[in-house]
Amino acid sequence: MTILEMCQWLQDTSIGTQIRESVWTFPILEGTHLLMIAISVGTLLTMDLRLAGLLFKRQKVSEVTKAVMPISLFGFTVMFITGVFLFLSQAVKAYGSIYFKLKLFFLLLAGINALVFELTMRRTIHSWDADPVPPFRARLAGISGMILWAGVIAAGRTMAYNF
Amino acid sequence: MDLLPFFKWCDQTALANSVRDSRFIFPIVESIHILALTVLVGSVVVVSLRLLGIGLKTMPVGELSKTLAGLRNASLAVILTTGFVLFASEAVKCYENPPFWIKMKLLFTAILFQYLVFPLVVRTDREPGRLAATATAVVSLGLWFGVGMAGRAIGFY
Repeated sequence: MTILEMCQWLQDTSIGTQIRESVWTFPILEGTHLLMIAISVGTLLTMDLRLAGLLFKRQKVSEVTKAVMPISLFGFTVMFITGVFLFLSQAVKAYGSIYFKLKLFFLLLAGINALVFELTMRRTIHSWDADPVPPFRARLAGISGMILWAGVIAAGRTMAYNF
Repeated sequence: MDLLPFFKWCDQTALANSVRDSRFIFPIVESIHILALTVLVGSVVVVSLRLLGIGLKTMPVGELSKTLAGLRNASLAVILTTGFVLFASEAVKCYENPPFWIKMKLLFTAILFQYLVFPLVVRTDREPGRLAATATAVVSLGLWFGVGMAGRAIGFY
């Protein structure tokens, strides 16, 4: 089974068909998806700005992270689930869209960026937690995170123009 | 007062024409609009949750709000500017679009609330009372979420 055939199969499942043919489900899913992007990425932004040494300089990095992470993860979870449903309903179109691939690519890079940070800088956080401007690699992770998420959002929005 | 003449005028401006004539301007402006919206909602959510007792508790809410004020004001300025460009390019279409009118009413209420009522509750010189804090957070979140949802609905109508 090729990926395209798999997309066709996904789209033809009863759930994919129901969403596509509904009057309300699709707009509600998409509205929720958008709102959750704003919640998760918007709150993540405060954390990234702290990592970049641009905001909340008097707060510890771990304090800002602890405060913001649960909200961001909640938003991300709902965004991800609604995103999967939206994809299901238009899998073939999404497969053919360069912007959808670009979006997944940015999403993957954002994930790698976060993972690298967790595996390296997070382990030494106690030594720079209170620094107003964190070490270079932490700032880099914060700035990369902001750019990559902006890419995810812009690619996602552009995708819809080619549908 | 009927705003239709104003909408028609917007629709005919050089700005509106150039947006319509280009394949790229509208999507680019809309992406910027949504990115700025993300920044605005993020900063509103962080302050509102703090008002509800969740999040950055080591920081007084007034100070938290002040720290995020720059982000909030700048993102709102970008939202309004890009929003006007998007609106102008399809002003007459918007006139007949119910979600557009809902969005505008919510938007003006949200802005008035954010700049007139919110500062009365969220201050650096004292912590707000439990009830005032909760009400402010709920109204603020409700209004801005409403603006976002109604805005998305414009395209579906």
